[in-house]
Amino acid sequence: MTSPIPELGRFAEPALLILVSLSDGPKHGYAIMTDVEAGTGRPMGPGTLYAALARLEERGLIEALRPVDRRRPYRLTAVGAGVLAEQLRDLAAFAELGLKRLGRSPG
Amino acid sequence: MITLLLRLYPALWRARYGDEFAAVLEERTLGPFDVADVLLGALDAHLHLRGLGAASEHRKGFAMSLKIGGYAAIAGGIFWLLALAGNAINDGGESFSPWLGYAIVGATVMTLVALIGLSAFQARSHPALTWAAFAIPAIGAVVGLFGYAAIVATGDSDTTLIAGISPWMIGSIGLLTMVLGSTLFAVATWRARSLSRTASGLLAVGALLVVLALFGASGALPSPIAIVPIVGAILAFPAGWIAMGVSALRVDRVGAARLEGAAS
Repeated sequence: MTSPIPELGRFAEPALLILVSLSDGPKHGYAIMTDVEAGTGRPMGPGTLYAALARLEERGLIEALRPVDRRRPYRLTAVGAGVLAEQLRDLAAFAELGLKRLGRSPG
Repeated sequence: MITLLLRLYPALWRARYGDEFAAVLEERTLGPFDVADVLLGALDAHLHLRGLGAASEHRKGFAMSLKIGGYAAIAGGIFWLLALAGNAINDGGESFSPWLGYAIVGATVMTLVALIGLSAFQARSHPALTWAAFAIPAIGAVVGLFGYAAIVATGDSDTTLIAGISPWMIGSIGLLTMVLGSTLFAVATWRARSLSRTASGLLAVGALLVVLALFGASGALPSPIAIVPIVGAILAFPAGWIAMGVSALRVDRVGAARLEGAAS
């Protein structure tokens, strides 16, 4: 398995969750937080969200759109979509390997 | 409070993200978890960014998570077991030993971290209850630690310190606020259904038994009966925190599994 979203260290997992959240269209910060929490059942704090957003934007994986009433939506870039797809394929292969070793079929 | 939190971030960061970040904070019901996460986020921004656009190789970061809360709750439970059992053996402070002090300090710190780390979802539906569950023991911790520090400094738990109050009594006030905070947290968790209700119930029962044990140890209950809440408190209160921590780690793992499931 390759390293998850390179050079994001502690924020690799929140970054992955944000990329997945943006995979079906642009969202602003609050919508990303609620979407991640609904999808995983785990809380994501505002500090973590913006630390990860800043890193993703810095690396060109997401881009900011024009703000609407102080809420700025973000969307995946083509590079971001490629990195996300690769990361998800790696996770899927890893999950399949684990399930095979457990003697259980995927899905 | 939002303005104050924003001011903790570097000016350059605020210029880029300040407006939208303030909008998110206004939209969200902030609890202890969110405030701690923002404080850590501000520290991270100072360490990581130093200037937007200057890509940093700073790989570590600071973020509050359910996992931190879960581990803190388990560690707190173990410290509480040592502290409560040590106190019972110690016969209510007759001969205060340093290791009992370490156990109490450990239990206090870990419980406060757990109250922050595990409070994210409770704060959305019961903000006042969740803030009270953290603030009351936080204030009590300062009072209690002052009492225990006085015991260590004077070497006598029964000496009069302020207005006829002994260091041991001050320390006990701190303990009672931790118990009250734990009870409020258990109620908030039970009502929000964010973590295991069994763990919430166990923690609430454990907290009640600690109060009964203190009541019994003060001579209000005859000695054969007084031992019952003492033993119950030693077992149930730490078990409640440990169960709460295990429940949080399970929720965290289910979240990770959902993420991997989405990928397959």
